[in-house]
Amino acid sequence: MSSTTWQFPRLLPVGPFKRAAARRVERWARKRQGTDRLITELESRRVYILPTGVGLIFALMTFAMLLGSMNYNNNLSFVLTFLLSSLGLISMHQCQRNLVGLEIAFSGVDAVFAGQGATFKIAITNHSRSYRYNLQIYRDSLTSDIQDLAPGESKVFLLELPTAARGYVRLPRFGLRTLFPFELFRSWAWLHMDLAGLVYPHPADSPPEPPPTQTAHGHRQHDARGEEDFAGLRNFHKGDSPRHVAWKAFARSGEMYSKQFSGADTSSQWFDFDYVDDADTEKRLAILTRWILDADRARQDYGLRIPGAQFNPAHGDAHFHGCLRYLATFELTEPDTDAPA
Amino acid sequence: MRRPSGTDGSLLPSLPWTLFALGFSVLPHIPFIPVWISAALLICATGRLYIERRRRRLPPASLRVVLALMCFIGVLATYQNITGVGPGSALLVVMAALKLMETRKRRDQFVLLFISIFLIMASLLRDQYIWSLPFLLVGVLITMTAWLRMSAGATIGIRRSFATGSRLLLYAAPITLAMWVFFPRLASPFWSVPIDTSRAQSGLSDTMSPGDISSLSLSNAVAFRVDFAGDVPAPPDLYWRGLVLHRFNGRTWTGNEVSISTGIGSPVEYLGGPVRYQITLEPTSRHWVYALDIPYEWSLDQTIMGRQNQLARRRPIDQRMSFSATSYLDYRLDVNREIRVNDYYRSLPENSNTETQKFAKKMHAEATSDANYINNVLKMFHEQEYYYTLDPPALGSNPVDRFLFRTRQGFCEHYASAFAVLMRAAGIPSRIVLGYQGGELNSLGGYLIVRQSDAHAWNEVWLPNRGWTRVDPTGAVAPERISSGIAGAMFGDIGASWGLSSPSMLLHQLTLTWDAINAKWNEWVLGYGPENQNRLMKWLGMGDPDWQKMILTLLGIVAIIIAAISFLLIYRNRPPPKDEAAVLYQKFASRVGIQPVTGETPYVFASRIRNEDNVSVDDSDRVTELYLDARYGPPNPDALRALRESVRAYSSA
Repeated sequence: MSSTTWQFPRLLPVGPFKRAAARRVERWARKRQGTDRLITELESRRVYILPTGVGLIFALMTFAMLLGSMNYNNNLSFVLTFLLSSLGLISMHQCQRNLVGLEIAFSGVDAVFAGQGATFKIAITNHSRSYRYNLQIYRDSLTSDIQDLAPGESKVFLLELPTAARGYVRLPRFGLRTLFPFELFRSWAWLHMDLAGLVYPHPADSPPEPPPTQTAHGHRQHDARGEEDFAGLRNFHKGDSPRHVAWKAFARSGEMYSKQFSGADTSSQWFDFDYVDDADTEKRLAILTRWILDADRARQDYGLRIPGAQFNPAHGDAHFHGCLRYLATFELTEPDTDAPA
Repeated sequence: MRRPSGTDGSLLPSLPWTLFALGFSVLPHIPFIPVWISAALLICATGRLYIERRRRRLPPASLRVVLALMCFIGVLATYQNITGVGPGSALLVVMAALKLMETRKRRDQFVLLFISIFLIMASLLRDQYIWSLPFLLVGVLITMTAWLRMSAGATIGIRRSFATGSRLLLYAAPITLAMWVFFPRLASPFWSVPIDTSRAQSGLSDTMSPGDISSLSLSNAVAFRVDFAGDVPAPPDLYWRGLVLHRFNGRTWTGNEVSISTGIGSPVEYLGGPVRYQITLEPTSRHWVYALDIPYEWSLDQTIMGRQNQLARRRPIDQRMSFSATSYLDYRLDVNREIRVNDYYRSLPENSNTETQKFAKKMHAEATSDANYINNVLKMFHEQEYYYTLDPPALGSNPVDRFLFRTRQGFCEHYASAFAVLMRAAGIPSRIVLGYQGGELNSLGGYLIVRQSDAHAWNEVWLPNRGWTRVDPTGAVAPERISSGIAGAMFGDIGASWGLSSPSMLLHQLTLTWDAINAKWNEWVLGYGPENQNRLMKWLGMGDPDWQKMILTLLGIVAIIIAAISFLLIYRNRPPPKDEAAVLYQKFASRVGIQPVTGETPYVFASRIRNEDNVSVDDSDRVTELYLDARYGPPNPDALRALRESVRAYSSA
């Protein structure tokens, strides 16, 4: 027996129609606006506006007040009625103007492992001289925080999309909306930037033992050390990692030295796609991901052999992400347009 | 699913302002609603604020339902009904108090703010004073600021919300004014619901029983104001005709009901010139419309003339109403009327006031003519010991007998009633007219104020060849009252009764000034109805105004204002000015005909255009150098000027 919550039966199956209508509108907007560049300034012709539920109630109330004023020929309640309806009209324009002129720029999305939320960073800049209030980025029911922009201010809005499988998490379209000033109207703009983020395979939870570590000579080295041996100092060259700068020596002498390590590249592992003992490609990828993750954390060198590519043993962020990117897109077709990752 | 009843303090930034807006809107209702309702709102408001501060739980739903029922029953018990402004506003306040107890999210406050707006509306339906306009503007401003607080982020301060609210209100003001002026006013309401049943009727009553109520209440309240197109007629001519009473049962005079008015007055021969004027009537909840004797034309809707040339409106005057009218002071009314034997203008109940009837017959027999008899009666009032007092003794079952021969004290009603009986007993058709006499001229506003204390009763007698002729027997007692009007304050009693017993002139002047302002307010703001609107439209140049033209004009004007505001918003949102140096260099580049590519430095660009025909190496290097100086060098107006000159020099070359 499964315990399902009882739901109120819907009188009309409007859901499918609503979704179909939404798809149709989406196609229409895309056709009308075309694909946007990654930095887009909103023009007035692409800012849409509709009254909200509160706005409709407000209109109804104002109409009732108008009828009352007409009936009693009460000139002061006419003033009140007209003041409210004027405020409604003004708020409509103010609401639309609250978006026009904003510069929307995609500022990246970090690659994530499947199952984690991919956070799209969207920077919005207010180049104008007036405040912009109550701004929110959304995609369907997913929303960012609501923020305000002072004149000249730029803020990053974070939109987190859930991910399920490796590959790409796509954000073909997102919206920017506002309810300012009185929530009587909702004004929004659709942006078709065709964004996509990379999703690495979900690392396997209980992977088999990785293949044994080998020394450079081909001998097995059982006590693999994460530490590398300090070999000495040499003069600092441009491009040396600040982590390797001998700061103590710098503090003493004022000269910059870089620490030299020996023992790098002494041990390495090969992670081979064919070596993994599992029939399912996805599971193999998951296991490889876990191995790479662990090796990277242990600061070991590792290489990746996979049909179509071979990454020689190395370490570092570029190597790490290069391998994982290959695993993420392994045997997948590219997204329709070039996806920045 | 149960909603959680805890609070998390998320309302703290917005709740105080919502409460402030609500409190402000309730203010004008406090004298009219029961004390317990105001107290309930106060308790709920402070309690709710406390709950939010301390993150306490809201009262459970069951308690709220019980409270709601109790409050509803309480309102019902207080008012016995739930229609009209009184119970309506009481219910709104109760609703606000109860809604507060279940307001949990920011957006729940919408309901409270809607109630706040309705409360402002209700207060306007009740009273429309001059301060009602600023009250409504401030009320809307506070409500809208609270509205903005509801959705404002944490970084937005109250001053910013207030500034935004004020700015939007300022934008709305011209549209509101245009709508108010051009929105067509209806002549008659769709349905008739009494606004406030608790409001008592004021003004003249429909019947007259001198001696029953022994004192006349003469309030200083304004009955109506009159703005004459030409000169103000002399005070003795200012008889404001109201209703006509002709049926007498020995004690009480009654007239025709409004409902049986035919709409056709008796024939009038108009002599002399017309007098044109504008009257603004205060609401009385009665049907009678006052106009200068004798009315010829009037512009008030639904108003007809009765058989006795009195004006009445089918719907009671429950709002302040303004209309224009024309009257003739010199006239002959119904000259060709035939006198029947049992004419009802001569009928008297046989067994009442017998002493008076005998006395009248004797006096009439001694007189040479009807006119002579009338004069003798007036002379009697003048020469014998008849007193004018506002506080006469009560009269018994034969009030006219008692008044004429015993008490000899009375006010206009006593004299008019006695005079009519004396005429009828002698066979002269007579009737009583109720209305107002005189009025105070407000020299500041150039108009006449007629107050309730100017209420008057006089007679009309029908004489051959002259028709219905006005006779004012009260004037015979005190002719000064007629010649100088009430402002003369001949009668100490009257002066005392209208509140200015020791009038310092300054105070009186202030009162008149205030009244002048009020009169303009009443005429142009509160009394802005179909007729005023029509006049204004004609003055604005609209020929033959009708509602279609007004609506079209309204739409046009609103569209223009909205467009202007839209441009204002665009202007406010304009980006900061571009660097002038960049603009100049852009101009230079477009003259050369080659655009810099994105990422290209000016030096690279300069070397690229060097090979073009239309620019010399010299020019390109110099302009680029000046541009880099002006834009990236230390602030230097000379560099900018040099760049400007060299670009201009290059363009003209």
